Order: sequence, then C-alpha cells, then structure tokens
Amino acid sequence: MPQFESTFFSSLIFWEVISFGILLFVLYKYAFPGILSALEEREKKIKDSLDQAELHRSEAERRLKEYEAKLSAAGKEAEAILAATKERAQRLLEENEQRLTAEAERIKGDATREIEQERRKALQDIRTQTTELALMVAEKVVQRSLTESDQRRFADEALEALSKSHPR
Amino acid sequence: MEESPLHQFELHNWIPLSIGGLDISINKAVIFMWIIIAVAAILMIMAGSSRKLVPGKLQSLAEMMVEFIRNMILDTMGKDGMRFFPFVATLFLFILFSNYIGLIPGTYTVTSQIVVTAVFSCVVYGLSLVLGFWLHGAKFLGILIPPGTPGWLVPLMIPIEIISQLARPVSLAVRLFANMTAGHVMLVVLFSLTVGGGLLIGWLPFVFTVAIYGLEFGIAFIQAYIFTILTCVYLGDAFHLHGHDEHAH
Repeated sequence: MPQFESTFFSSLIFWEVISFGILLFVLYKYAFPGILSALEEREKKIKDSLDQAELHRSEAERRLKEYEAKLSAAGKEAEAILAATKERAQRLLEENEQRLTAEAERIKGDATREIEQERRKALQDIRTQTTELALMVAEKVVQRSLTESDQRRFADEALEALSKSHPR
Repeated sequence: MEESPLHQFELHNWIPLSIGGLDISINKAVIFMWIIIAVAAILMIMAGSSRKLVPGKLQSLAEMMVEFIRNMILDTMGKDGMRFFPFVATLFLFILFSNYIGLIPGTYTVTSQIVVTAVFSCVVYGLSLVLGFWLHGAKFLGILIPPGTPGWLVPLMIPIEIISQLARPVSLAVRLFANMTAGHVMLVVLFSLTVGGGLLIGWLPFVFTVAIYGLEFGIAFIQAYIFTILTCVYLGDAFHLHGHDEHAH
C-alpha cells in the first residue's frame, strides 16, 4: 500500500503539524471567539426574553389576583348593601303596617265613640220626647188636675221605674 | 482502467525540500492540507465575523458545528473541558474538511494516510495521558483498575486494561485511515468496472458507484465525528478518573 511508504512520513508529519497548528491558531484567534460570543449572546438574549416573559406572567397573575380580590370584595359589599336595604325596607314596611293599624284602630275607636255619643243623644232625645208625649197624654187624661210640677214628678217617677225595669 | 485502485494514494515529491536533513518535500497530500486549512479557516472566519442575532446560512452552519462540539465536550468532559474546545473543534474541522474535500474527484484525501491519522491519535492519546497525570498524579494509574473490580481479579485486569489503553491510539488512527482508504478504493474499483463494462453492463456498477458515493458522504461526517467524540471521551477519562462518580466530589 502506498500509505506505508515511509519516504513521505517525515514531510507529511511535518506539514500536518504545521498546518494543524496554523489552523488552530487562526481559528482560535479569529473564528471561535466570534462564533462562541454570538452563540452566548443569543443564549443570553433568549434567556433574558424568557425571564422577561416570566416576569410579565407573574405580574399579570398578581394583577389578576388583585382584581379578583377587588371583585369579590365589591361583590360582598354589594351583597351587604342589598341586605341592609332589604332589612330597611322590611322595617319600613313593618313600621307602616303598625302605623296604619294604629291609625285604623284609632279611626275605629273614634267612630265607635261617635256612634255611642249619637246613640246616647238619640236616647236622650227619645226620652225627652217620650216624657213630653206622656205629659201631653196625661194632661189630656187628668185634665189639668195637677200642676205642671206634679205632672213632671209623676212622669219622672214613671220613667225611673221604666228605666229600672229596662236597663240599657 | 489498468491502474491499481491504490494508485490514487500514491504520492510524488513535487517540490523537494528539506531542513536540517529532514525531508519536508511538498507533495499532493501537503498541498491538500493547505487547501483544507485555507477553506476551513476562510469559512469559519466568515461565519464568525457576521455575528448576527438571526444568523444566515453560513453562520447557522458554523454555529451548529460549534454547538455540536461544545455539547460533545460538555457531555464527556464537563465545563472544564471547554479549555480544549479550540483543539477539539480544530481537529474535527480538519478531519471533516479533509474527508469532504477528498470526496471531490481528482483530489487527495489526507486522512487516508495512516501517518496523518496516527499523528492525530498519538497527540490525542498523549494529551489525555499528560492531562491525567497532571490532574491526578500517580493516582491516574488507577485507570488500569476499573471501579468495582474484586481484589483477586486485579492481576488479570491490569494487563487487560494496559492492552485496552494501548489499543486506543492504534484503533483511533486505523479506524479513520481504513475507512477513508476502503471507501476510496471501493469507489475506484466500482468506477473502473463502470468504464470497463461498457454501455451494456456498465450502468450496474455505476449505480453502485453513485450509491457508495452517497454513503461515503455520510461516512466522511461520521468518521470525523467518531474521531472527535473518542478524543473527548479519552480526555474526559483523564478529567474524571473512573467515570462521573469521581466528578461529583
């Protein structure tokens, strides 16, 4: 095999070492730093972007929680207001009812009293008229035998007896 | 074709040169070493100088390659291994470009020279030994006794491990050399069959030539990769004696 001809070994080894050394130097000096730094830069950029996104996400989450808390607080408040209003309405209703009942009671009492009064008055009238009627009748019967005061006394006594036998 | 399929590997001194009695004549392989380093250097410098956040094609390719080697180093050697990044990356690029440029018809495959691959493997293995003894001192000899070996097996294990250690540079050099040589020999044989077979039957070896050529494209990359990953593994062994448990403390 031609590859085992040792005549070329020295020059191949020499030039291989030289070429490799040059390539290593050139790449080390001019190529790798650029590529590695570009890679690192991109990695950093991606990492930063991810961190930023994470930050935004947690911020958004925090805000959401805040809003939710606010919302639930507002809900509770609204509920409380509603409950208070209901209670007040109930109270007002009850008050009104009581007042109206009292009013009605009062009106009823007034009316009863008035009726009673009227009744008494009517009874009084009837008594007076009856007395007068009786007197007239008695006058006609007795024909002036008695004085007016005697007649009134007899009539009163009669009425007394009447009212005793028929109590109101 | 009357030529031997090995004819392609023959070298001739084009410009005789020597320093201090050492023959350093320029031949085809030497010229192609220059071409390899020129192409590799130009492409990588171009890729490295653009530094765009959203990379172009060349930059992407170079970055992919750099990432590839960086991951290889981080997986085998850990963060400390990045000190060897320039060496490992240059080794990978040199072998890769040598394999690929050698696939262009009429060119010379530098890595098909056993002496070229032997120099690389000896440098790599030597470096791993130096690094091992430098980091661990005499304790590095413990690499000859795999962890968990029962005491009575030690006398047996040491010779076996010595052989396996010595096989490392040899297999590293021979693997690359043999793959490149065999691939090119096969291509030449198949192509000479194509030419010799004429129109009637020649198309069959031609189809094979094309298929093997495609295969060789894969092999060119795989062999560069294998050489590099084994370099990383050997250097990694020197870093972490007995695997990663040593790395922990």
